[in-house]
Amino acid sequence: MTGTLTPARIAAPPPPPSPAGAARRLRDRLTPYGYIAPFFVLFAVFGLFPLLFTFYVALFDWNPIGDRTFIGVDNFTRMFADPRFWNAAGNTLSIWVLSTVPQLLLALLLAHVLNHARLRFALFFRMVVLVPYITSVAATAIVFAQLFDRDYGLLNWLLGLVGIDPVDFTGSTWGSHVLIATMVAWRWFGYNTLLYLASLQAISREVYEAASIDGAGEWQRFRHITVPALRPIIIFTVVTSTIGGLQIFTEPLLLSGGGGLTCGAVRQCQTLTLFLYEQGFGQFQFGYGSAIGVALFVMVVVIAAVNYVLSRRLRGEGR
Amino acid sequence: MKLRRTTWSLVLAGALAMSAACSPGTGGGGGGDGKSFEFWSFTAINQKASVDAYRDKHPDVEVKLTEVGTSTETAQALTTALAGGKVPDLVLIQGDDLPKFVQQPQNFVDLRTLGADDVKGDYLDWVMGQSTAKGGEVVGIPTDVGGMAVAYRTDLFAAAGLPTDRDQVSALWPTWEAFIETGKRYTQATGKAFVDNAATSVFSQAVNQGAQKYYDDGGELIYATNPEVKAAFDVGVKAATAGITAKQPSFSSGWSAGMAQGQFATLAAPSWMLNAIRSNAPDTKGKWDIAKVPGEWGNWGGSYLAIPKGAKNPQAAWSYIKEMQSPQGQLEHFVRSGALPSTPSVYKDDKMAFAKDEFFSNAPTGTIYTDSLLGLKPFRIGPDTSAINQELGNAIANVEQSGGNAATAWDDAVRNTKTAIGK
Repeated sequence: MTGTLTPARIAAPPPPPSPAGAARRLRDRLTPYGYIAPFFVLFAVFGLFPLLFTFYVALFDWNPIGDRTFIGVDNFTRMFADPRFWNAAGNTLSIWVLSTVPQLLLALLLAHVLNHARLRFALFFRMVVLVPYITSVAATAIVFAQLFDRDYGLLNWLLGLVGIDPVDFTGSTWGSHVLIATMVAWRWFGYNTLLYLASLQAISREVYEAASIDGAGEWQRFRHITVPALRPIIIFTVVTSTIGGLQIFTEPLLLSGGGGLTCGAVRQCQTLTLFLYEQGFGQFQFGYGSAIGVALFVMVVVIAAVNYVLSRRLRGEGR
Repeated sequence: MKLRRTTWSLVLAGALAMSAACSPGTGGGGGGDGKSFEFWSFTAINQKASVDAYRDKHPDVEVKLTEVGTSTETAQALTTALAGGKVPDLVLIQGDDLPKFVQQPQNFVDLRTLGADDVKGDYLDWVMGQSTAKGGEVVGIPTDVGGMAVAYRTDLFAAAGLPTDRDQVSALWPTWEAFIETGKRYTQATGKAFVDNAATSVFSQAVNQGAQKYYDDGGELIYATNPEVKAAFDVGVKAATAGITAKQPSFSSGWSAGMAQGQFATLAAPSWMLNAIRSNAPDTKGKWDIAKVPGEWGNWGGSYLAIPKGAKNPQAAWSYIKEMQSPQGQLEHFVRSGALPSTPSVYKDDKMAFAKDEFFSNAPTGTIYTDSLLGLKPFRIGPDTSAINQELGNAIANVEQSGGNAATAWDDAVRNTKTAIGK
């Protein structure tokens, strides 16, 4: 607190009450709410109402063109007993781990390299890493599906050249997870690289130079300067990619090609959002689909809470 | 904001459902000019040919044709539209998707009010029966039926030392067992796959040959107990484990590429599949021929035209149905695009009996497919037929493509189906 209050101001007498003054004071008090109202109105219409409505629909057996019956928590008990739900949850988790870990490590290393003082054309490279991010997901999925095709894909052709049997990337469980994770990582690593880079630019060069003079090698500087400096932003990217990872939808949907909403014969790459969509818009069980949506919502809230606790603790450490 | 995204799709659906509940009840015949109507169809079956022909005869009528997507996507769009209240005047619904809509006939114009009773007799009884609701409401008028056959590559058959003449080829496989044996001979001779996949080309055709499928005549679910379903499933698993399939799921990109490159020599060919072969493998023209399906009769597929309750121009839509789906209209459509009529009175017409398809080595498509409908014992299609198809087919694909256990495949399939449909 650097501001000071002068005794004179504290001692100033309150203005005499008058009807006009009261109206103006009321107006002054309400005006700020008017300025921020658009956000809250939009949030209520497009955020809050749909959210609450989803909770409501989840309590019904809801046929969009027929009857709707109140069934209480039956949709939830059914969901917890549904192996397809757990399968989808497992797939989502697996794809998330496979995509996030390599993606963030790669982004970290790239950011460190791009931050290097002696790198030529640094600006060019900084812009290039963002290209995957601005490419349409649909285009990415189509290209990757062709690259990874079992019989006609470039990757299996290359594997064949060195005598490795073709891998069925879409047909097998781990193969489809690797394929989707690769797509996600490819799309997002540039974005995270730039986030890290922005944070790195804030570190004074002198710290690195001092470390060099003290005899710290490249790896030591990376470990002891870069990583600690980036800790808050690393937490942030982990959380955003977790929330993004819970919502992976387009990649598996486009990947399954003729397979439809199950993403393969044994739902090997069906994620939670895809399962939600299958139940809601494939089978038209709006109630059951809403229940899955509620479960997803709870997961996201839990992760957001974990993020809050983590970043608070981290800030505490910093002091 | 992230929270909003997790639920936005459901929310949209919820909002649509809400608006449906709030929208005023619209009866048929509201406010249309009778001279234009909006028509939703699905891709790959060339409804455009029909619409163009209709426009030529009626230049004063404006038809707005939208090809929404696949048959499933079209049915999904229709459901959303019905829930939301903004519907087309005319919509094409695929046979397997129809029961869900027939169960809720209040969403559609009862075509008896427009004169369906007068034309009902023109169509195959069992096809018409599927679009008639419990209370007798007629929800849809049939356009085409599927029939069944097997398309094969004559050049690849010759290379494998198999006969190429379509009668001799048909004689190779009086049963599905014989079809699989032929496949083994082919694969031994060439080292290549015989058929695209087991789930579609073997199981889906075989299961459509029973007198009953997943429902008994009273509408009770019998998929788990019906020996005909089990037999078709076993044949599918047998084909999956025989090492004769290319493991390409139908309609996937690998499947299209494989077809163009001769990766497999045969595939299931209900009449609507011929268009898919033509468009996926245009360079193979003349190398294909069509043989009888093992077991010889059965039907797979077919579609219906329906008029949603909120249609603005039901009368214009009905005029279109009446003219284009009449026996003569369907016959002309067959000549133009090869879709098999659902009106038996034209089956003996010269235009059908002598129809030949150049792409398929001049195979007599008219007689091959109508023969497959003769002796047909119609089975009941129910609201979950589509979902059951998918689960059973997936269980076979699992054995074929992902190394699933063939011995437990049937139990897995029944369990998965129970989970999926809750019954």
